[in-house]
Amino acid sequence: MATFILAFVVGMTYGGLVRKITARVHNRIGPPFYQNFIDAFKLYSKTSAIHHGAMHFMGPAFLMVSSIVSLMIVPVLIPGGDSWYNSWFNNMNAGGDLVFLIYIMVFGSLGLALGAGQTGNPNSSIGVTRGLSQMVGFEIPWVMALVALMISYKTTSIVDFINIQQETGKWLMFENPFAFIAAVLAMLGMFRYSPFDIVGAPSELASGPVSENGGKFLFTMMSSGSVFSFVKLTLFVDLFMGGAENLVILVIKTFALYMIPVLYGIVSPRYRTEQAVRFFWGWPTFIGLLAILYAVIF
Amino acid sequence: MDMLTLILVIFLGGAIVTWIGNKLNPVIGDLLFLAAVIVPSGMFFTGVGVDSTTTINALGLTLTWGLSPLSYLFSLVVVGLGILLAIYSVPFMKGNERTGAFYFNFILSIGSMLGILVSKDWVSFFIFWEIMTWSSYLMVIINGKDVQKVGIKYFVFSAIGAYAMLMAMVVMNSQLGSFMLADTFNNFQHMSAGYQILIPLLLLLAFGVKSALMPLHVWAPGAYSNAPMAFTSVFSGALSKMGIYGMVLVMITMVNQLPNGSIIRDVVAWLGGFTAAAATLWAITQDDGKKLLAWSSVGQMGYIVVGVAIGTPLAMLAALFLVVVHAMFKGSLFMVVGAIEKQTGTTDFREVNGLIRKMPWTFISALLSIIALAGIPPLAGFVSKWMLYEALIQNNNYILVILLFFASTAGFLYSYKFLHGYFLGQEEPEWDHVKEAPIGMIVPMLLLALGTFVLGTYPQLLFKPIDAALQYVGYTTTGGSLWADSVLFSQWGDVVMLQPILYAIIAVFVFFVIFLWFKGKKNTRYVSTKDISTSGEIPKEWENLTFKVNFFQPFERAIEPFLKRQIDKYYTAFGNGLEALFEFSRRVYTGNGQTYAIYAVLFLALLLLFKSNLFG
Repeated sequence: MATFILAFVVGMTYGGLVRKITARVHNRIGPPFYQNFIDAFKLYSKTSAIHHGAMHFMGPAFLMVSSIVSLMIVPVLIPGGDSWYNSWFNNMNAGGDLVFLIYIMVFGSLGLALGAGQTGNPNSSIGVTRGLSQMVGFEIPWVMALVALMISYKTTSIVDFINIQQETGKWLMFENPFAFIAAVLAMLGMFRYSPFDIVGAPSELASGPVSENGGKFLFTMMSSGSVFSFVKLTLFVDLFMGGAENLVILVIKTFALYMIPVLYGIVSPRYRTEQAVRFFWGWPTFIGLLAILYAVIF
Repeated sequence: MDMLTLILVIFLGGAIVTWIGNKLNPVIGDLLFLAAVIVPSGMFFTGVGVDSTTTINALGLTLTWGLSPLSYLFSLVVVGLGILLAIYSVPFMKGNERTGAFYFNFILSIGSMLGILVSKDWVSFFIFWEIMTWSSYLMVIINGKDVQKVGIKYFVFSAIGAYAMLMAMVVMNSQLGSFMLADTFNNFQHMSAGYQILIPLLLLLAFGVKSALMPLHVWAPGAYSNAPMAFTSVFSGALSKMGIYGMVLVMITMVNQLPNGSIIRDVVAWLGGFTAAAATLWAITQDDGKKLLAWSSVGQMGYIVVGVAIGTPLAMLAALFLVVVHAMFKGSLFMVVGAIEKQTGTTDFREVNGLIRKMPWTFISALLSIIALAGIPPLAGFVSKWMLYEALIQNNNYILVILLFFASTAGFLYSYKFLHGYFLGQEEPEWDHVKEAPIGMIVPMLLLALGTFVLGTYPQLLFKPIDAALQYVGYTTTGGSLWADSVLFSQWGDVVMLQPILYAIIAVFVFFVIFLWFKGKKNTRYVSTKDISTSGEIPKEWENLTFKVNFFQPFERAIEPFLKRQIDKYYTAFGNGLEALFEFSRRVYTGNGQTYAIYAVLFLALLLLFKSNLFG
């Protein structure tokens, strides 16, 4: 439970900070950094006048399930670390969970797709098809990076990866740099900032899958999005940057990592879907192959 | 006559009796059909014990039938699907004028598949294999459409496989002197080295055709879509598994004994992986639900073949688990397509849409089956896929892991296309009259779909039969629990680790649905899909905002270089080349009686001229 509150608060704050940073880069003032909380509260307190059927309710619920279950699997802090609040954040991570995590991360978007489908809005369906196509694109380098790590250390458990990094004292980012680069390039697709934001292109598609959802639906989607961003960042930190002993270090590391897609995205135009997919199957896949070769040889 | 013989006789005789009964009166035909399928199935489950053998002497041949633990596992699939589909077929074929032929071929297919599974000698194996082939061929062409393109293609490929098997059988008999399966497997080393490689390859060809392994898959999309949907569930659920049954036998007993057997296994594994990826990509481009599911079946068989070919205990466990699970969700999905076809008259995505509120039970079955197909936890598809990935990683087949992951992720695309195509999207007035399918069709669908849910929560239900089957073919297990290898279970002993997570998923899901629905339930009213906010405009009734055509056009553009290359083109080119050869031989064999008369006269003249040389 504490993990969920942490993820929610941190995720929303990051969202607000990103809006501020984006605005400053664009030479505007931008909303305050706690704007996302205000938005969430406003959305929560509104009632939707209409709904489009049972699936419309289940869509955001699926999305939330995916975020929360991923949160339960990813270790937030290093287990057994030496901060007084460590045991609050213990969650259910058992062996073999990297594969499980990859699947549960996709479950949410499929559920959202179903919910959006029932509304009948063609923009939602177009957004979903673009999102799924792009996902096929970035999954390849992402899976290659993960497989490279699995080859080197013969384990699929995230906790094991953290322990290995603690023991050797070196971050996996430097042990297998190709895997890290491939994973970061895949991460650009995962976060859906430019140039891969054609999924929810606001002026083209009315935000794609989230159109037709207001009030509590949008609140659920927004919170789920923030929690999910936090989960992805924490996963990266655990795998490549040595985990985090306490919350301060966690915040610093995840924020530093988050700046990569955000800053790159602020100044980038948008790729079309087939350009995005072809991009991911080009250089990132090649670097992923290098990562696997590197893991096999060394 | 003992139980097994009686069961097979009822199947074979029941086919004829049902056909006659259907000619007399459709209702009698329906009742006889149900009896002909359900009675022997019930007898099979209660009366036949594992390892009981029967011997029949007929026509100078000795046929031996008996059930082995491996056959028992596959027979669960065959007979289970048979019963459920028999119940489904009766309302499905109502009013169809080819019902008699359908019943005849259906009963024969189920009976012959059971016969294949209980055959302990190659002769009866071949006999039942051929009965299965031609009864399914008759099913494919039952409506008389596309006999040339689809039916003959299926038959030719099956015949190639069957004759390869016949050749292997005859060679084995001449070398080892016996037709019994056990003898040929045990004495495999006594054959000469050349034969030791030839026999498995021939048998793999035969079984590869049936399980639609690339490049032998070209018959599958057409055949699966042309057969009536009630039969296609059996076709892709059970019939293709006969190929897997044979492959398991060949791989474990023969290929493992070859010194270079690992080469064959690697090649087959790569073919399987390539099948999975390529078939998935083709499925994404299809616009007809039947073809999409057909290509998806080919892809899923690729997964199973990878598991069988890798051969470690965990991989075999994953493959056999996927055999059962695939039969369940594919059977259910083809039944969904059949229900939609019956209620709306078409299965094209571009024509049908918005059926979710009109056919809710069909939608629920389709949703559960698609979630199982995509391999999403907590349903059973995920359990099998996870074990397969684990087995591949343990065995260091990393590129295959990536290929299969790619296939799984691309699988999400056609899963969404299937669901969106039939059930979601705009609801058009022309489909307002559609009602839910009759209850006889809904119950089997739902049972299969819920079965995947049950298996996902309690996979150990299936592990005991699989364990027995694997021990029978020679795997030894550590302490009797084969699944201890998998990380799914070893952490928590016998309890599936997934269970707490499953409860958490359900709890969170229910909580959020209630959270979203409860507060505003008095104030939130249902509106149709015409009342949407497309940038502030409300679409009129006559505006059709359905998005179906070119559904995945960006993705298809991205994979266009791949789509240009089809193996079918090679086969067609080969066929055209043969036709040119036949055209040439038409010059000699003209079909004209007078030409043949001239040939006879010329031949006699030659004989007379060279009489002295020939006859001294």
